[in-house]
Amino acid sequence: MGIVYLKNIGRFFFLVFFQVLILNNIQLGGYINPYFYVYFILLLPFETPRWLLLISSFLLGLTIDLFMNTPGVNAAACVLMAFARPFIITSISTGTEFQIGHSPSLRNQGVKWFGYYTVILVLIHHFGLFYLEIFRFSEFFSTFFRVVLSSIFTLLLVWISEYLFYPKGQ
Amino acid sequence: MRYLLYFFRKHYFYFLFLFLEVLSLVLLFNFNEYQNSALSRLSANVAGSVLNLSSDISEYFSLKRTNKILAEDNANLHSYLRDAFYQTDTHSYYHKDTLYKLEYKYISAKVISNSTNKRNNFLMLNKGTLHGIENHSGVIIGNRIVGQIVSVSQHFCWVMSILNKDTKISGKFRKNGQLVNIEWGGGTYRRGEVKEIPKHVVIEKGDTIITSGNSDVFPEGLIIGTIDDYTIAQDENFNNATLLFSTDFNSLSYVEVVIDMMRQEKDALKASFKSSN
Repeated sequence: MGIVYLKNIGRFFFLVFFQVLILNNIQLGGYINPYFYVYFILLLPFETPRWLLLISSFLLGLTIDLFMNTPGVNAAACVLMAFARPFIITSISTGTEFQIGHSPSLRNQGVKWFGYYTVILVLIHHFGLFYLEIFRFSEFFSTFFRVVLSSIFTLLLVWISEYLFYPKGQ
Repeated sequence: MRYLLYFFRKHYFYFLFLFLEVLSLVLLFNFNEYQNSALSRLSANVAGSVLNLSSDISEYFSLKRTNKILAEDNANLHSYLRDAFYQTDTHSYYHKDTLYKLEYKYISAKVISNSTNKRNNFLMLNKGTLHGIENHSGVIIGNRIVGQIVSVSQHFCWVMSILNKDTKISGKFRKNGQLVNIEWGGGTYRRGEVKEIPKHVVIEKGDTIITSGNSDVFPEGLIIGTIDDYTIAQDENFNNATLLFSTDFNSLSYVEVVIDMMRQEKDALKASFKSSN
């Protein structure tokens, strides 16, 4: 059991540094900001206690906020995403048995399941994040455009990492 | 009471969610109070030490460009040296200078974190209160503007870039001194918006907009950008224009912080004026 905790804590720090030191410095047009760090929330094991899910997501968002000088924005979006996660999992699962200690993955849950799971949760997070960041309706459509483009890039990164780190036949 | 506790325990997930969400939103909406709070200083310290390390590495990649900018600045300064002037009078006079009093002090600082692709962009500099940085000071590069300091810790400070939704700079046309406001509407970091241009001002493409010096943040006469495009409004009192920033926000590595030596005096005057009214 301890190894699961260690793995997740390690992933937490790796993703924070990857986001802050690398992704935040990459320029992809003026509109696209991938927020790949949410991969941490996506990959928490199925049987994570719900309070731990919320608290760890909150801490993740707050840490990112500390680095980006945007108090509360990432934290709020992460908590929203973590709150939605159990409901999304129950609504898209059709009696599939989840193994204890396993994280949601492309390999175990299949392309369709993992596709719904990641797309819905990443969109929830990005919508929350971008609209809280701007907090006005006058730029509604340009923000919408940014949400969609950034989500595509975040999802692309998530799927690439799934293929890289959890290949089939492992 | 037992049922109440049972109710809370049963639905703790919702309550915890609401609690954390409200906590985040409180942080977000108190941003202005946050700006010099303990949390903000913690942010500057923690993020500062990590980002400093990363910029120490990435600094090498911009050495060439930095050198070029320095060389240009040097050449510019050389032209102000006494040697650069032709002496028309063979006598020279020395006197204690009472005509000029130092108003602005410039402190060079390294940019250790920067972004241009967010809606609200911030920079972090590697100088803080120990080096004499004061909150609300302006930040410039050469004779172009970069932003304004919003939070200072001992060794680092956060700068609100011009590329921020809360930016409002007082500028003016260099050709006739007409006052305008500059804002950034998001999107590309190359262009900003010029608001509230009076109807009678003739706008031309390529007109230079400079700082007005009205705002206490920037000295007068720094270049903001040039007019790129404009629209003549039919039913409003003001015209709007887009402006091409002269600052390349994406390639900042060393900037200067402008410390206004007379800020206290100005603030005191303003306060006394306010209280007497």
